[in-house]
Amino acid sequence: MGTEQEKARGVISEFLQRTDKGAEGWNDETELWGEGLGLDSLEAAELSAMLEDEFGTDPFSAGGDLPEKVGDVLAFYATVST
Amino acid sequence: MILLLEAAAASSPERQAVATSEGSATYAELLDDARRVAAALRRRRITRFAVVEPDAGWVLRLLAGAALAGAEPCQYQPDTDASEFADHAALLDHTFVLTRRDDLTGPFKLVRPAELVAEPADGALAAGDDTPQPLMIRTTGTTGLPKAARHDWRILGKTVANVRPMPEQRWLLAYGPQQFAGVQVLLHVAASQATLVAPFPRQPKDGLDAMLTQGVTCVSATPTFWRFLLAEARSRKATLPALEQITLGGEASPADLLDEIRTKFPDAKVSQVYASTEFGSITSVRDGKPGIAVETLYDETNPHANVRVDDGELWVRAGAGMLGYAGESGAESSESGESGEWRRTGDLVEIVGDRVMFRGRKSEVINVGGVKVHPLPVEDRITGLDSVALARVFGRPNKLTGAIVAAEIVPVGGVEDADVENIRSQIKTAVADLPRAWQPRSVTFVDAIETKGGKTIRGMEE
Repeated sequence: MGTEQEKARGVISEFLQRTDKGAEGWNDETELWGEGLGLDSLEAAELSAMLEDEFGTDPFSAGGDLPEKVGDVLAFYATVST
Repeated sequence: MILLLEAAAASSPERQAVATSEGSATYAELLDDARRVAAALRRRRITRFAVVEPDAGWVLRLLAGAALAGAEPCQYQPDTDASEFADHAALLDHTFVLTRRDDLTGPFKLVRPAELVAEPADGALAAGDDTPQPLMIRTTGTTGLPKAARHDWRILGKTVANVRPMPEQRWLLAYGPQQFAGVQVLLHVAASQATLVAPFPRQPKDGLDAMLTQGVTCVSATPTFWRFLLAEARSRKATLPALEQITLGGEASPADLLDEIRTKFPDAKVSQVYASTEFGSITSVRDGKPGIAVETLYDETNPHANVRVDDGELWVRAGAGMLGYAGESGAESSESGESGEWRRTGDLVEIVGDRVMFRGRKSEVINVGGVKVHPLPVEDRITGLDSVALARVFGRPNKLTGAIVAAEIVPVGGVEDADVENIRSQIKTAVADLPRAWQPRSVTFVDAIETKGGKTIRGMEE
């Protein structure tokens, strides 16, 4: 039984592979922008679409501040799935 | 239409005019029934009416009868939802509905086609060039409410004035007869005194069945219809029959599809028709290449041409165009094809070498973070892959960029057996030289792609 956060981690990993950013070398503290994963707007839009496909909602589209770290994305899906 | 039927019935009364899933009729039988319909319409003082009828044989009887009576028919999608139909019929003020359906209710009177053909004809009724023969055609309208264009059979008939009798031809009706392109096929078949093969439903798999079993020799269809049909044929491992004539229209024809058609049907003449419900039939291309030859465009040395390019958009004039939209008088009509005025088409084009290449509809443009993306060239890259049977590229709303380019893919052999990650990788390579905003950011794998009026739905997803 996985949690929503584990599923979200899987989506991020898949996204990083698809965008040739590598599936390794990141953790919850990794920044999404700049020196971290270095996402630009199109890549962030792609990640948001993948998360929306999986969960029906995503932290980039939910309003409020954009997530800054991988952990912010995971925190958005903090509910344990059953 | 009635004049063409009269000519065909006089020349070849026993020739099979139409073969449908419900039966067949000769030209003499069709003409006899059309005359009965005309007389019955006159007796009932029906001057305009809606038609909700799937069978092309019945449609021909009703359209030809209406032309003889001078009444204006307007076909609706035969399987249209009853409540949607009631709304649209009210908008167009249709108070008579000719149909065999029992579920249509509203402020209109249902008239059964069989009632009309059961009545005697009126020998005094005759059609002539000085008598209006109105016809209303609703636009396909991939978005929003369809409009309705007012036409006259006498003007539409000009497009087939030079068609010679080809009675051995058997034309597949791949369009709905309620579409402008479907009406063109009806006219062409009647003018050539050939046979219309009209299965219902009219899905590509039904068209393939008809090609394999009913001796079809000529097919007019959209590129999307052809893609589906060829994919179906591959999946069934069907041996396709030789065809004499293939006509593509309604959408741009991609080069890879034209290549495949040439390979599968080496003996067929291939034409691409540029036409619309409003402007009528404008031009056709017979050289088998995508797009239109630049040399056919209007300029000072080619003043009679009716196609030109202005600011990246195709403009047209003349053609057997409409008289106006429903609700407009002739004087109010702003897009009449008879006026000779130049009109925008909404088709975006680019001149590449000696060809005018279609880039998509204005309404299909996707705005990705301020970058205007045309889905068609992206789709062409994807459908050119051997692993892809069908593809649809469209805009998907996104909070960050306004929209992203999305693609739905039908893999060859179906989703279940496909190596989707490999296909993703192939797509990525195929679009790598396009600007980044043009590259699909959402790729999903599906078993079927939705179409409307035989056309792929692009543009922004709602």
